[in-house]
Amino acid sequence: MTGPLRTPVDGPARLRETVEVAAGFFLSRLEVPEAVLEVHPGQFLQLQPRPASLLSPYLRMPMSVAGVDAAEGTVDVLYDRVGQKTKVLSRLPEGETVGCLGPLGNQFPLPEEGTAVLVGGGIGLPPLLFLGRRLLQKGRDVRLLAGARSADRHLPEALLHPAAASVLRATDDGSLGHSGRVTDLLVPALEGAAAKPTVYTCGPHPMMASVARLCAGHGVRCFASLEEYMACGFGVCVGCVVRRAENGLDPYHRYSRVCVDGPVYDARTVEW
Amino acid sequence: MVDLKTTFAGIELRNPVVLASGTCGYGEELTPFIDLARLGGLVTKTITPEPRAGNPPPRVVETPAGMLNSIGLQNPGLEAFLSDKWPFLSRLDTRVIVNIAAPTAQLHGQMAARLEEAEGIAAIEVNISSPNMKDGGMVFGCSPTASAEVIASVRASTSRPVIAKLTPNVTDISAIARAVAEAGADGVSMINTLLGMAVDLPSRRPFLGNVTGGLSGPAIKPVALALVHKVRRSVDLPIMGLGGISNATDALEFIVAGATAVQVGTATFVEPAAADGIVEGIEEYCREEDVDRVESLVGTLRL
Repeated sequence: MTGPLRTPVDGPARLRETVEVAAGFFLSRLEVPEAVLEVHPGQFLQLQPRPASLLSPYLRMPMSVAGVDAAEGTVDVLYDRVGQKTKVLSRLPEGETVGCLGPLGNQFPLPEEGTAVLVGGGIGLPPLLFLGRRLLQKGRDVRLLAGARSADRHLPEALLHPAAASVLRATDDGSLGHSGRVTDLLVPALEGAAAKPTVYTCGPHPMMASVARLCAGHGVRCFASLEEYMACGFGVCVGCVVRRAENGLDPYHRYSRVCVDGPVYDARTVEW
Repeated sequence: MVDLKTTFAGIELRNPVVLASGTCGYGEELTPFIDLARLGGLVTKTITPEPRAGNPPPRVVETPAGMLNSIGLQNPGLEAFLSDKWPFLSRLDTRVIVNIAAPTAQLHGQMAARLEEAEGIAAIEVNISSPNMKDGGMVFGCSPTASAEVIASVRASTSRPVIAKLTPNVTDISAIARAVAEAGADGVSMINTLLGMAVDLPSRRPFLGNVTGGLSGPAIKPVALALVHKVRRSVDLPIMGLGGISNATDALEFIVAGATAVQVGTATFVEPAAADGIVEGIEEYCREEDVDRVESLVGTLRL
């Protein structure tokens, strides 16, 4: 049920608008080269918000795609304004050009049947929102479990509901929804299900590790979208690696490149 | 019509722009973005005698106008390179330089001898300069004697031009360049990365998994230019200049400072077709400045 991956292109995108959707969280809508519209859930873009004449910040910014509107010719990226580059992008005036390299990486394998449970933490949600909408379009049952430190660190419901038939939220401080970890919500979803669901997760590493462990314990398939510090995004620098869990690999295959072999991994194949 | 043809250490290049080792993989990854046949050539990611896992992550971190890397030469090893990577490279209509590293001088020679059996390799570049190897690379390149031993071993084992890739992390780079020249190197490529470190203050830990790494990008260009200039004045060997080249102006500055050819490295990470734009920019400069042959610019620095 997944489509072929489009050969990536390097072209200019035009910033249509940027909106602050929650405290510190921004959504930028970009008019992108046609090839980029063929992006699949799980894939990412390497954006360059600075003008070419400036040399800092030097590297591009890997950004997962939160949604695509083929008719409008736009993709959405959703980010937490934490670093220099997200600051530059969030403050860029409408109509400005952003370098856009993509679509990059692999995609979430879509289940042939059954329920999909999406488990997202903090700013790990965007690729899951894209996946959820795509699954709903295909008539699948999608449940979203979203975790954050506090109520103000949650994305607004208007962004979550189009991506799932049901949404459950958790906060570390108890200010919204379940008081505790988002993984507390996953346990009943795994135990109560009549048929085994497929779990998709993206978020902080410890959260994903715990989701992977819970799924393995219940014999449920789990796909995790990983994040690593990245330079190129297309496989030549070998910087963004994750250690594979498989034994007996020759040393060359011990580390996998998140940008081309991932970012989506079957959780069983990663050393958490 | 500008003549961009460049002869470097006996290798005829279509133009003086070559992709640097470790920044273009084994060629294939770049094909969606750039026509490699438009370039002077490419240097493969370093090959070692045996497969290598590389260093633990994080392996890269951004720094002002550049980045640090501590990849640690993750590569499939010599035999898998020949069976899996070389068939694609050998069909490219561009010069392919194979970069090698090994834990001993003798093993460097053995690798060069084995590579004699692959047809079409333009030259061997010897990595005596990686700051991310505990068992080679810069370990050799910081000593004139050790550098010479490695180069002599490769020289004795290959019919191909031998290029020594030099590290800037030395007191006197000219002494290293002289030593490799006497050992039979046909040229040098310079500079490899500068040893660097980044600290994550909140955790008070080194940012890179390997603690230290190599600094590259525009930040190091002035250092590289000074060293190219120094070696040009003290040693009679052709130089492939690299270090922070991100546009045609940068490339021309290296040529004027004494580099016969240039390598584009980290810039490819940011703009995968950067080298193509650099070729175009060099041609445009020559046209505007009435330069018939790009080679006539080499070492024309006015002092």
